[in-house]
Order: sequence, then structure tokens, then C-alpha cells
Amino acid sequence: MFAYTIRKLAYNVPVFLTIILLVMLALRVNDPVYSFLGKNAKPEDVIKKREQIGLDQPFPIQYGTFLTTFDMKTESWGQPGSTVGEMLSDSVWPSLSITLPTLLLTTAISMVIGLISAFFRGTWIDRSLVFFAVLGMSVSFLVYIIFGQYYGAYRLNEATGLNLFAISGYESGPQNWFHYCCLPVLIGVIVGMGYDTRFYRAVMVEESQKEYITTALAKGASKSKVMFAHMLKNAMIPIITRIAISLPFLIAGSILLETFFGIPGMGRTLITAVRAKDFPVVQGFTAIFAGIYILTIILTDILYALVDPRVRLS
Amino acid sequence: MMMPKLFRSLTLLLISGLLCLAAGCGSSTPTKVAGDSKSSSGGTATADAPSTETLKRKKSEAGLKEVRFPIASDGPRSMDPADGSTHYDNRCIGQIYETLVQTKYLKRPFELEPLLLEKMPEVSDDGLTYHFTLKKGVRFHDDDCFADGKGRELVAEDVIYSIKRLGDADVSLKNWWLVENTIVGFDEYRKTQNDADKFDYDVAFEGLKRINDYEFEVKLVEPVTRFMWVLGMFQTSVVPREAVEKYGTRFARHPVGTGPFTMKEEDWVPKQRMVLNKNPNYHECFYPSESMPEDEGAGLTKAAGKRLPFVDRVTIAFFLESQPMWLEFMSGNLDFTTVPKDNHNEAFTRRWKVKPRMKNLGITGTPVPLLDFIFLGFNMEDPLLGGDSEKNKYLRQAIALSIDWDQRNDVFYNDTARIYDGVVPPGLPGHPEEGLAEQNYRGPDLQRARELLAKAGYPNGEGLPKINYYSSIEGPGNEMAEMTVGHLGKIGIELNPRLDVFSTFIESVNNKKAPLFSFAWGSDYPDPENNMQLFYGPNESPGSNHFNYKNPEFDKLYEQIRVMPPSDERTAIIEKMQAILIEDSPYIGAMARYRFVLSQPWLKNCKPTEQILNTFKYLDIEE
Repeated sequence: MFAYTIRKLAYNVPVFLTIILLVMLALRVNDPVYSFLGKNAKPEDVIKKREQIGLDQPFPIQYGTFLTTFDMKTESWGQPGSTVGEMLSDSVWPSLSITLPTLLLTTAISMVIGLISAFFRGTWIDRSLVFFAVLGMSVSFLVYIIFGQYYGAYRLNEATGLNLFAISGYESGPQNWFHYCCLPVLIGVIVGMGYDTRFYRAVMVEESQKEYITTALAKGASKSKVMFAHMLKNAMIPIITRIAISLPFLIAGSILLETFFGIPGMGRTLITAVRAKDFPVVQGFTAIFAGIYILTIILTDILYALVDPRVRLS
Repeated sequence: MMMPKLFRSLTLLLISGLLCLAAGCGSSTPTKVAGDSKSSSGGTATADAPSTETLKRKKSEAGLKEVRFPIASDGPRSMDPADGSTHYDNRCIGQIYETLVQTKYLKRPFELEPLLLEKMPEVSDDGLTYHFTLKKGVRFHDDDCFADGKGRELVAEDVIYSIKRLGDADVSLKNWWLVENTIVGFDEYRKTQNDADKFDYDVAFEGLKRINDYEFEVKLVEPVTRFMWVLGMFQTSVVPREAVEKYGTRFARHPVGTGPFTMKEEDWVPKQRMVLNKNPNYHECFYPSESMPEDEGAGLTKAAGKRLPFVDRVTIAFFLESQPMWLEFMSGNLDFTTVPKDNHNEAFTRRWKVKPRMKNLGITGTPVPLLDFIFLGFNMEDPLLGGDSEKNKYLRQAIALSIDWDQRNDVFYNDTARIYDGVVPPGLPGHPEEGLAEQNYRGPDLQRARELLAKAGYPNGEGLPKINYYSSIEGPGNEMAEMTVGHLGKIGIELNPRLDVFSTFIESVNNKKAPLFSFAWGSDYPDPENNMQLFYGPNESPGSNHFNYKNPEFDKLYEQIRVMPPSDERTAIIEKMQAILIEDSPYIGAMARYRFVLSQPWLKNCKPTEQILNTFKYLDIEE
């Protein structure tokens, strides 16, 4: 297993280096300094700013320097006084406080619904669940947010006077989680359920058609035992893939949810940085995200190997 | 068979839940609605007024007067005045730091008055030497950067230090233009210090001279009127050297000023909010007695002569999206708001009056003119479009007459912008009455456009090559370009739109490669000179004269107004300069936006303007 892991890591290093190379090249196509300094910028000021941040250096040197630090100690252009690393660490937890519960709840509920749907395949129950799943995923995320914020926070608060959910804002600490994060999480779960339910249903249906299921049933195992003890375990590879692919996005946050609900997470930080032409933050965040994504893929491969030894052999 | 039963129950429960959710979203809550409610087509839900027909203010901490104010952005970049540049930086910095002079709160047109000064400076007869006397007893906020943590008194050395910071390339690259070529010896000092290993603030130069702790002198290279406006801009706010040196880069997040409010580092949660607390040691400053006739009826004169500030706390909330800001305002959680585009029809009538529903709630609405100059520009060095030949002038005028500004206003600005002739935005001296100049080339007037096009030698556009039209792709740049192509197409002129990100676009304009381009200018200070310098020959690209317009007569007049104090004579010259520009047509336009704002009934002394930003000290709350 150790050798397998090392091999996977080694394969992915060139991929990561290439991604960083492409990101750095892409960010230099249009001069970030011109955009940042604005309408009164003078050519000599642009040159000075380039010198200050090392953009006057040959590209290989810039590339090498970036790989040693990832700009984590570089000061943000959009938020002077804060380094890229500080902004990253400040925004990870707000993002996770939304994305982690959303992922857990969506996965758990969708798997249960997927199982139910597969169990009742072809009946009105299955059709109804699929209908709602398709309906749910057909509506834009933005519509859920706008209506969710309006009815779930504003109108509900006005009607009940309870001030249950915040219209927007964020405070850290578990005692504030329900007020500030519950509504965005609920919206995230409703949106995610549509996609996930259909996916898990398809996985379960496919698995339920395998011969070993027929064998188990023929041997007298109950349908529920077959589903939970046999089928669910064997359906784990696509489920792991699905969850693993979602993991990097936990860190990246949800740009729309964070923007509308005023949650200072990674998504909002990144979109602000893009708007503010905050070059170091965009470069640093993109590199870190690429790294996390690659690590997740490696982790998924390792989990595959653990769950199914055939993966390693092939 | 237990499990299938359980499954069935679970399934039914889930389906019922989903149905309830769907029904909940579709139905309205059974509350009494205070007025008509319309669904916005722009994708933002509208806010019905609360059921009680009166808005209730969210309670503040007991015994604390607090103003809650939104900013439709992620907030300021930096709290270091020398490094700030945006309107949002200004909004926040202006409450904590102070400048030597400030714009009078109630007076229009805008005028300056002393803030950190005892009186307005004495100016020598040649207009070159300014003698300043500081107000005594002004103290910086209490902070650890001072001995024993008590804010020390402001002295002349602080002002000199703060102005010098604008020259330090490590501190301020964006704001050097404010004082460039202005103060005797400053440009040389800047170059020497920036070329050296360390910027030495102790080195003196001729233009900035300390006389004693309360007096100093500034010598100008030439007598420029804008110098005083610059001293009222937040970038020239006075900072204590101790704080800059103690906090280093953290100074951007740790402001120490002399203003009416203080802010601790932890009170600024980036992207969230900023909490400002009343400065207990604020120097003597009073609500103005000088006002406009209409201010009395608006209740803006009642506080005249009272000591500032009135409120104990200001909370500034930052919003990237307009819907939450709007809903927070309609919930009574904000005391003031700008009206988002999608909610404009909910708040204002087509005649720019507040809708009865809002009025019934006691909400006051004001359209605030912005000092905008939105235009299309010609590169006057372009062989086809530029130059001063009659032929090319007719072509430029024909193009100007084909542009349908009304359509542009309707489609992109909800018909809320103001179209005007000339280059001076509404509200400034020299702006033509009703925005209409006697002689103008304002479109759409296709008949006249075709006539001029024929006079230029291109009847119906025949023989005219495709014109490269440059614009930024950001915002609705693409759609605006499509519209412009359509407008010119009506008289037979073909455009080749070249859309790019702002940095590439501005580079093309700076390099004089853009024969026709779309641009906008927001006045840096409320003086028409700021717009006139856009056409001053020596400012040609890469300077601010992107038109590369050179007219000796215009330049001579500009040099005159640059050194004149505001007067009727100066306004007359500005009008003459505008007439020259309209006739020569190096630009097409123009348009200025309005910002529509609402304030809650309990917010007092609020006279909305975008030009004065240190306004929180004047505001009061009626609990």
C-alpha cells in the first residue's frame, strides 16, 4: 500500500507543476498591475509596482519563487495588512461551516432516498421521488437562494417575529451556527439532493441487478438485509468517488451562498479577489485549490484500493 | 416484513416533507401587506412592507445611539489614507481620519471650510504660497503607539509627514498624481528618496516648511486652485508617524486618526462589517448653521450649532449582493440604503418621487447626482477620425448624432441617468441649464447625422472603412458595444468592436491605438477643472487626455481657470471651453448617473451626497 501511495504521489507531481505553470501564465496574459493601479496610473508607477511584486523577474524565477512559498506570506493587494495565508485561514472555517453540514446531510438523505427509490423501483413511490429529484435539480441555484432568503428569512421573521434565520451575516462559534448558517445549509441540501438522489438511485438500481443479489435472495436473505449488508457495501466505489470529488469544494466554498448570505468564506474571498484584481490572492488560492484537488484524487485512489483490492492489481 | 413497512412510512414522510417545502415556497405568508407587491424581473425578490405598516427599528445595545449603514461592496481595501483610493475606502477612512479642510455639509454648490485648521489658509498674492494655521487642541485617538496610550496633540510635523507619505512608492503609488508637479521640490525629493535604500522622511525640501507646532507653509510650483480640493480629499488625511512606524503593514488595519470615530482592529471584520465608536476626545466641531433654503423644510437645520458627533456608534455592513441589503433595510435593520436597480420601481415613481407605500412608512428618498462623465471618445491623432480638418470634424459630429443616448439610458440605467451636453456633470458650475447647450451634437438625430456624413465625403457611409471601436468587456461592455454598432449602422457606418479586459483596453487607449473608445470619468473633486484637464494638450496619453486633443485656444483657457478661484468669470470661461469642445467633438456624450437612496424615518440630519463622505458625525437617531 505504501509503494502504491508513493507511486500515485509521484505521478501527480508533474500534473500539479503543470497546473501551477498554466495558472501563472494565464494570470499574466493581461497585466494585473495596470488593472490594479486604475485610471490615474502612470507608466513609471506600473514599472515600480511590477518591481515590488517581482513581476519584472524572468518567468522561470517567478515560477520557482512561487513554488517555494505559494505566496502565502505575500501581502494581499485587496486587503493590505493581511497576507494571503491569513486570508486563507480566516475563510476556511466559515466555508466549512456551510459546506460540511451540507455535504453530510445531502449525502445521508440522498442515499436513503436513493435506496428507497431503488427498493420501490417502477412503483409510484419511485416515480414520485424521481419526479421531485428532477424538479429540484432543474431549478437554478440562484432561484433557491433568492426565494429562500426572502421567504425563509425575511418573511418568516416578519411573520413570526422570532428572527430565526439571519437575512445575511456571519458570526463564528457553535452558538451562532443555527442563526447564520442553517438557512444556507438547508438551501444547499435542497439543491444538492436533486442531483445526488438520482445518482444514488442509479447506483443502487445497477447494483441490485447483479447476480450476487439474486443469489443472496435465493438463499433466503431478507430484502432489507440484502440491501444494507450486501448491496450498499458493493456500491461504495461510486459513492466514495462522488463524496471524494465533493471534498475539494468543501474548502472552496459556495460562491453564491457565501455572496448572498454574507458569509466570509473561501468562495466569497476568491470572487472578491477576482473583482478587486487581487493578483496574489487569486494566484495563491488557485494553486492551493489545485493541490487539494490532486490530493483528493490520490486519496480516492487509495480508498479504492482499500475497498477493492482488484483496483491495485489492475 | 418490518422493514418494507418502515420504508413505506419513511417514504411517505419524505414525500410529504417535499410537498410542504414546495408549497411553502409557492404560497405567501398570511400577513397583511402594506402596499402593492410586484415580482421583479431582475431576479431579486421584492420586499413587502411588514404587516404592521410601520417599520420597527432593530434595537441597539441599551442606551447606545447607533447608526447602521450599508456599503454595497466588500468594504474598504485599506484604512491607510495614503493607500486608499475607492469610494468605499473614503466612506470608512473619512470617519476616523481628518483632512485640513472639508466640504460644507449643507451648502451647494460645494464649498470648502476648515476642519483641522484654525481658519482657511492665507494665500500670497501670486497664489504660490499657502500659510496654514492648525487648530489647537486636536488630539489623535488614544492608542498604544503613544507614550502612556493617550493620543497626543496634532502638530504641523504630522501634516508634513502625511503629505510626504504620498510620495513614498512603498506606501502610495495610486495617489501620487494628487500632488505630482504641485509642490516645489516634492517631485525631486520623491525621486531621490525612492531611489535610495530607505525613504527618509526627515529630509526637508523647499515646498513644505514647518514654522512652529501649529503653523506651516506650502509653496506651489504654480498657482493651482485644485490644491485646496486635494487637501480635502481623504488621501491627504493626517496620520501620526508613531502609528505608522509601530504597526508597519498592519497600519492598514489599525487606524489612528483625529476623527469623530475610532476603530479597533477587531472591530473590522473584512467582508462583514466595521464598527466605529465615538471618539470621547473629539475636538470641538459643531453642526453647520450655513444651509440651503430647502434644508429647513427637510428638518436639516434643527441641530445647527450643536456639538458633533451625535451618535455613539456606527456599524457599517458590507454587501456584495443587493437583495440582502434591501431586505435588511426593509426589516428595519439598516437606517439607510442605496436602492438596488432591481428594486428601483418598488421605491420610486417614474418621476423620481418616493412611492406612496414608502412614504406611508416614513421613508425618505433622494436621487443623488453623481459627478459622472460617461462618454465615447475619439483619438484625435487618428488619421481617419482625428485632426482639425473640417472633413474629419463632420465625420465625428455625424457619429455623435447617431448615438441614441435615450436608449442607452433606458436599457442600461433604468432611465435614471441624466443626459447632458458638454463635459461638466450636473451640480457643478458650468453645467448647461437642463443639460442642454445651445449648439450641440446630441443624438439621435439621424437626418442631421446623414447630412454631416455626406459633407464629410461619405454619403450613407460609402467609402468609409470599418472603424475600430474599443471598449472594456467588464460590466455590460459587450451589450453596450452591440448597441453602438446598431446606432452607427443606421447611418451606414460599420464598426469593428474590440472588446477586452480593462487592463488591455486601457493599454490600447494609452498607446493611442483606439480610434473610437467608450469610457467614463468620475470627478475626483467637485470642480469642473477636473473634467477640463481631460482635454488639456500636455495631458495627452498616457496622461488623462485620452483624446489626445490639442487646441491652443482651449489650453490657454484651461491654464487660466486652473489658477482662478471659483467665480462667475471662471464659470463663463468654462462655458466657453465647453462650447469649443462641443464644436470640435473629440468626444460623444455625455451622461451622469444618479444614485437613489432611502433613509428610515428615525434617521435625522441626513442630506445624501456622494461628494461628502465624513457625514456620520452629522447623523442622529430618534429612538
